[in-house]
Amino acid sequence: MDLNSDQVMIKIDSLNKSFGRIRALEDLNLEIEKGELLGLIGPNGAGKTTAIRIICCILQPSSGEVTVGGYSIHHDQIKIKSMIGYLPEEPNLYERFKARDLLKYFGELYGVPKNEINGRIDDLLELVGMSHRADDRINTFSKGLRQRIGIARALIHDPEVIIFDEPTMGLDPATSRAIRNFIKELKGDKTVILCTHYMDEADLLCDRVAILNQGKIHDLGTPGYLKEKIHGDTILQVRVHNPQKIDNAQLLAVNSVESVNLEGNLFLISLRSREDISQIIDLFGAEAISVNTKEPTLDDVFIQTTQ
Amino acid sequence: MKINMNFGTITRWELKNTLKSKKFILIFFMQLSVLAMLIFMFNSFAANIESEQGLSITPSLVDFATLDVDDPGGLFKKGINPEIIKIYTTNGNSSLVRLETGETSGFYTVSPNSIERIQKGEIVDTTLYLDYADPRRSVIKDEINTTTKSVATALTQSYLKSANPQNTTQTGLTEEKTGESLPMQIIRKVMLVVLLFLPLFLFGNIIIDSVVGEKERKTAEILVAMPIRPWEILLGKGLAVVVISALQVVMWMVVLIAAGFTINNVILVYLLVVLTAVPIVGLTSIIAAYAKNYKEAGIGITFAYILVVGFLIVPALAYISRKSFSANISPMTTAMRLFAGETITIPEIFISISAVIILSIIFFTVAAWLFGRDDVIFGPRPGPFKLTLQLLRIKKR
Repeated sequence: MDLNSDQVMIKIDSLNKSFGRIRALEDLNLEIEKGELLGLIGPNGAGKTTAIRIICCILQPSSGEVTVGGYSIHHDQIKIKSMIGYLPEEPNLYERFKARDLLKYFGELYGVPKNEINGRIDDLLELVGMSHRADDRINTFSKGLRQRIGIARALIHDPEVIIFDEPTMGLDPATSRAIRNFIKELKGDKTVILCTHYMDEADLLCDRVAILNQGKIHDLGTPGYLKEKIHGDTILQVRVHNPQKIDNAQLLAVNSVESVNLEGNLFLISLRSREDISQIIDLFGAEAISVNTKEPTLDDVFIQTTQ
Repeated sequence: MKINMNFGTITRWELKNTLKSKKFILIFFMQLSVLAMLIFMFNSFAANIESEQGLSITPSLVDFATLDVDDPGGLFKKGINPEIIKIYTTNGNSSLVRLETGETSGFYTVSPNSIERIQKGEIVDTTLYLDYADPRRSVIKDEINTTTKSVATALTQSYLKSANPQNTTQTGLTEEKTGESLPMQIIRKVMLVVLLFLPLFLFGNIIIDSVVGEKERKTAEILVAMPIRPWEILLGKGLAVVVISALQVVMWMVVLIAAGFTINNVILVYLLVVLTAVPIVGLTSIIAAYAKNYKEAGIGITFAYILVVGFLIVPALAYISRKSFSANISPMTTAMRLFAGETITIPEIFISISAVIILSIIFFTVAAWLFGRDDVIFGPRPGPFKLTLQLLRIKKR
């Protein structure tokens, strides 16, 4: 999708990054629109965090260019950093600080005007539901509470771009939901990059999703587009006694079969249409234990793309 | 959005957090009490060290001992070093009683007609009474021996000068020296200057914790993501440590003065000591910026501080034995001379301050360069040799 230059907030152009002999990013190209919520998904080591760190000017690229709001990471790092609010995978906050002091410290470093800083801290603590713990030390907080304070910290300077790296990783369902709802509220107002392992999270929140693997973007589009593109309409799940007795070639020879994947003793068969389902079940014969159909999810897209 | 000079903000917060830390306050005052104990030991136990010549050397303070002196001619009294022995002029009437009651450490009496006797070429009798229970007696004895020898040498020189002026440069006559013995100078001057500079080496752990801690606790990632330049981060953190060192030096000096040390040019000496903290913090920042963890930083700081101590002390010792101009490259030499009340020329001050400023700039520049490198902070970290080549622009990154 080519975007008008006025609409583009982040532009990644032929980005490469190597750590010694390891190529973390390989000729990465991506444009993110203003107000868009883009999901970055990919397996461990795909290059998601590296890409994010380069956008945040934490890492220097080996080659290539990234612009944020028209500013280059090579020349305008301070300007770019002041435009971005970044929440790393681990919030890693200063343990001895009280929550309010921590936000004040970062607010001052971001140059938030002194007459605004206290009001903004109160608003953010309210927003993340931490007003009652404002004067407690960070080292007394659980991971979920730290993550909330981390989000408040990332937003203290009212950034135009917010980057979340695995914001709900390791959190309980209630806290995850609260954080997802919060991210959802940012949609449209801020440009957001959400780096996640949770496909349902990306599916629920993102306008577009980029699937990153081995430093390259394998696919990019809306969650609906990706699901449709990769899997078609339906996935047929067939659990069998002995998978080795099933001939994949026979399955793939059926007209409507798009692809066949095996997870343990469960066959996942992507279908372009439902018309051949009975023929496929016949191919399994007495080996079939159970048969089920389901709509494709981003999980399926992820597995399909990254395998 | 306006970007401030953020190092001031970092300094303020670092100071606030450090001074609020109970652990730091405990260490801070423990260091002061160790100094006080050290001085107390010097004052209370005058340990004698016997030299090859049988010379007794005792770590001494100003007014180390009081000596009653009965020298109507004043010839010998002038030769006694008042920095070591407090002279109590007397006619000898009550001195033996004072000696018994401990009001004085000794009584030195010279023939009343000493000058006339010398003029006639007769021997001058001097007697020194000492309390053998008093450990300070050795110092008094040494000082009076030195004084007596000095007066005798001066008289011999004077005699030779009037008899044959050409012979005044003869070896054996002109090489006789008066004043404090070299070991005594080393102990008195160098010990004090070392004590003055000691606080500068006590707070390296703060900068290490502040910079290496960011890496170990993984807070460096969010700090580097701030709109702050690497030099601002390091300068801010370093400045906080310099301020803390400056605070400790003030208290250190108060304790030393209260304990009886004489420090001339207090303000100048203080400024020089605090200024010296800047390159030391800069060097520590290099180690902190490069070190991956506390262990590495600890090893680095040990080696670095040995070099720094060498750089500071060796010229100071060299200056005492040979009054060389170049010894002033060490601010310790200049500080030592300032507190001893010596006159220091502008070029001597200039060389000292220039060395401190140049080293500060070099160290902070290298530290900021290292801290600004993503490979040094987040890895994979290049080796020191490769980095040095890159720093010298011999090798491209």
